Amino acid sequence: MIISITVGVLVAGGIYLMLQRSMVRTAFGVSLLSHAANLAILTSGVPAWREDPILNVTTPDQAADPLPQAFVLTAIVITMASTILMLALSVIGHNDDLLRAPESGESHRP
Amino acid sequence: MLWTLLLVAVALVVSPALVVATGRRTGWLLAVVFLAAAALFTPTALAVWSGNIPTWSMPWIPELGVDLSLRADGLGVVFTYMALLIGAVVLTYSASYLPPSNRRRSMSFYPIMVAFTVAMIGLVLTDNLLVLFVAWELTSLASFLLIGRSGAGAEAPSMRTLLLTFTGGLFLLAAVGAMWARTGTTVLSEVLTHGVWDTDPLFTGAMALLVALAAMTKSAQFPFHVWLPDAMAAATPVSAYLHAAAVVKAGIFLLMRFSPAFADVPIWNALLICIGLFTSLFGGYLAIGQDDLKRLMAYSTVSQLGLIVAAVGVGTAFALGAAVVHTITHALFKSGLFMVVGVIDRATGTRDVRRLPHLARAMPAMFVVTVLGAASMAGVPPMLGFISKEGLLGAMRQAPGPIFNGWIAFAVMTISAVVTFTYTAKIVTGGYIDGDSDREVMPVSLGLRISSALPIVLGLPLALAAGLLDIPVNAATTAANTPGSPEPHVHLALWHGITPELIATAVVIGIGIVILARRTALHPHIERRRAAGDGTTAINRLYTLAGAMGRLVNRMANSDSPTRHLAFIALGLTAVIGLGAAHSHDKLPPLQDGVSQPLDALFLVLMTGAVIVVCTSNSRLGATVALSTIGIVGTTQIFSLGAPDVGLTQLLVESLTVIVIMLVLQKLPLTFGKPGKNRRPSALAIALLTGTAAGVATHLFNGRRFPSGTSRYYLGSGAQEAGGENVTNLILVEFRALDTFGELAVLGMTAVSVIAIISTVRHRHLDPPPKKDRSYVPAPKIPLQGPGTLAYRAVTQAWGNAVHMQMLVNLSTPMIGLLSLWLFWRGHNAPGGGFVAALVGSCIVAMVYLATSRDRQIGPPKLPLRLITAGIVIALVIGGVGFIKGSFLAPLHFYIGEVHLTTSLIFDVGIYLAVLGLMLVTFNLLGTSASTALQRGEQTRERADEAVEGELPGPMDTSRGERPIRYGRGTRILSTGREYRP
Repeated sequence: MIISITVGVLVAGGIYLMLQRSMVRTAFGVSLLSHAANLAILTSGVPAWREDPILNVTTPDQAADPLPQAFVLTAIVITMASTILMLALSVIGHNDDLLRAPESGESHRP
Repeated sequence: MLWTLLLVAVALVVSPALVVATGRRTGWLLAVVFLAAAALFTPTALAVWSGNIPTWSMPWIPELGVDLSLRADGLGVVFTYMALLIGAVVLTYSASYLPPSNRRRSMSFYPIMVAFTVAMIGLVLTDNLLVLFVAWELTSLASFLLIGRSGAGAEAPSMRTLLLTFTGGLFLLAAVGAMWARTGTTVLSEVLTHGVWDTDPLFTGAMALLVALAAMTKSAQFPFHVWLPDAMAAATPVSAYLHAAAVVKAGIFLLMRFSPAFADVPIWNALLICIGLFTSLFGGYLAIGQDDLKRLMAYSTVSQLGLIVAAVGVGTAFALGAAVVHTITHALFKSGLFMVVGVIDRATGTRDVRRLPHLARAMPAMFVVTVLGAASMAGVPPMLGFISKEGLLGAMRQAPGPIFNGWIAFAVMTISAVVTFTYTAKIVTGGYIDGDSDREVMPVSLGLRISSALPIVLGLPLALAAGLLDIPVNAATTAANTPGSPEPHVHLALWHGITPELIATAVVIGIGIVILARRTALHPHIERRRAAGDGTTAINRLYTLAGAMGRLVNRMANSDSPTRHLAFIALGLTAVIGLGAAHSHDKLPPLQDGVSQPLDALFLVLMTGAVIVVCTSNSRLGATVALSTIGIVGTTQIFSLGAPDVGLTQLLVESLTVIVIMLVLQKLPLTFGKPGKNRRPSALAIALLTGTAAGVATHLFNGRRFPSGTSRYYLGSGAQEAGGENVTNLILVEFRALDTFGELAVLGMTAVSVIAIISTVRHRHLDPPPKKDRSYVPAPKIPLQGPGTLAYRAVTQAWGNAVHMQMLVNLSTPMIGLLSLWLFWRGHNAPGGGFVAALVGSCIVAMVYLATSRDRQIGPPKLPLRLITAGIVIALVIGGVGFIKGSFLAPLHFYIGEVHLTTSLIFDVGIYLAVLGLMLVTFNLLGTSASTALQRGEQTRERADEAVEGELPGPMDTSRGERPIRYGRGTRILSTGREYRP
């Protein structure tokens, strides 16, 4: 299945970006990962049937599975929310490429 | 039975009020309640004794077949009476013992004490495994609280107690879970008579071991005996109750309760007999070495319980009977002796035998009582203790296995009896006779003295008419005995003829008296050695070790590097997928025809290119462009998969996200920093591995089945029920509206979180960043032409740039608005709906924002939070309306003329408002140009403040989390210095 390669590429890119220090890159990585997840969930509805699940246009036999679509639709909006949150986090310092950990006020070792 | 439990439970509820009203005298009232409860229990007890088994049941968790059921049998009756009667005596004692003026001490004592009793009665009367477990844990908890309330010194002991008894609780939990799973029922009486105990020796052995371990922790058997001496940090009444009738007896009860199933399991017999006898010797040895009378008493409990455990381990009817009798006897003399020690403590201010005066002269009555109690514990005739000790000795001879097993056990118990005699004698001699200190003896109140004497003195007539106990003991033995075995015939009497037990007792008393006579020479030897191998040290060492382990584990995650956190997850996922693929790759059905289309290949190529660019680009802008490419290709792919709603949403989300990214990028350097040398290869390796795994998983596990039943339902009768054509939208707002509702809440929370995050931004002038901040990167130097040129003006005075955009906005806003409404309306039957419509509406916000020549807020400052609140409230209310039809968020359908309407349309309005609110917050807060320094005007801090407080003349002088005071009255506006008045 070709889409599975697409999913693999997106996951690889997403993980690579998330492993970088920069918050903006991490946010981009999350975005890529969610694209991958969305495609994976959509294909769980089996992409052999690809007609729109709108009943006055398509017969139910040909229609794509609407349940994964509903899941993915929810996921997309949540992704938007989490991306916005991460972007907001990346501008509260001077720069998102922090090499130095901020002081948390607690020591790590006793 | 039920009324007893209810009465004590009511006492529990009203006890705090009683303490407030009557202080420490609450003990009298509660004692009366306990006696009344015992009286109420009499009909049940009589029924049990005449051979019936009263039961009561009420459904608790009907889905699991779990009932709150009570079932009184012989064991339950004995232990219930013990808990209530000893409880009543102890409460009477407490009424004089607790400090008279300090109400808080009483408040922390009585309610917990009553709760303790409720838990204990629940434990012994329940007929349900789960209730048994809960009650078991409640007794642990209550003893922890009672020990812990005794001040700072009791903190560590109470923690140790909790640790050990809860460990036992885990054993019991494991046993309960396994028994439930195996027998399929939680009814205790059914579990105990289940066939599995005869057919599966391995399972039976494992369960016997778990139950025995649980009981051993509670009954303070070696090596779990440590907590009991610790527990004497508690007040004397607590110790008396705990040692005599409650926690430690719960362990004994558990052993007896499960004896019907396990009495013939070899590991049960061997473990209990060996550990029991060893504990009785060891505990007795430690007891002799103690100087503190209360501590001595604690170790004596350890020792005595060892004897009972050993007898239960023998498992014959006679042995069980002996164990029951000794349990009763022990409850009587031990509660009395403990309270006597409390009296001594009150009279002299110490419990140390080395500092006590010659008390026999000062308190002759207490001396007599103590001697009687001690005689019972030592097994001297004609005390009740003599009868029970005879019984225990006889029980040992019935130990399973070859005949000499029994005689070895008999011999060991005889030695243990000598030890018992010795430490018991020490209580009397050390407490009353040997002292030569001239310490003053204070008068002790009559209440204390009488209540401490009560259980011991009551034991006397029972010994002389021991036959009275025959019926209850026989009933209890029947309950503890293997089902189907012949009726036990325990007959209690002082004289059974010349038996080995009688000879042993004579020998014990003889040796005991010799030791007593030579005590000044012998005791120091034992006392010198007791310091070594303290159990408390062992527990503390374990505790430290656990802490060290915790820090070790913590160190693995204690890092700010994303690799440390994410690599585990990514590689773990890879491993799981790898194992799954290796296991199932040859068992999978073939792929469906047509899962791959030529168009997919095109998308793959485009996507791969864009992913490579986004990963490698060092320019933030370049990466953003590549990211939006991925978004657009992804959207097209989604359209090609036949998901128009999803595609529309994705398209709009991508557009809005890119605008938000651009708003953020204006505050950040133009390029990403260079990654560390080591970071790139390892990140690449992890990424490729995970990517491969994800691809393989998608290929193996997707696209190999026919449409599911759920999908067919939604496309068929489901859509007809909901009365719409666009099935995806129907699922979102009708079938799975709760998901959507959760999502709505997430959007709202995100907006609130963004406000909170942004309000931590420092004010640039009032709180300037330190000069030597390594994370500081200066604003980018854009090579502009000088002032007066067109290029300079284009950047610094942006209104000229914005004119065209503004013209466009004027024209397009009403059109986009109408489009949004239309999409909203048609959602049920065609691509559209609340989300899509709201995102289109948000585009208006984005366009208006982009078209302004300088940064300013869109709409009133508090509008976004109000929109979100309204959205969530609307969704909640309409969800509540769904209850008319039976469930939260169930849609109602109705017609206005020919137009079909549903309440899910109103739900959609809620979604619309929440999405719009989030986007407004995002543009308003992330759009402020705090660091671009090109314009004056509202800056980030002030904008964030205004989102909560409404219009302000400047930022405020507190930031959230810095000071305990909230925004509002009394805080000053930074720029004006005036106080803020909302």
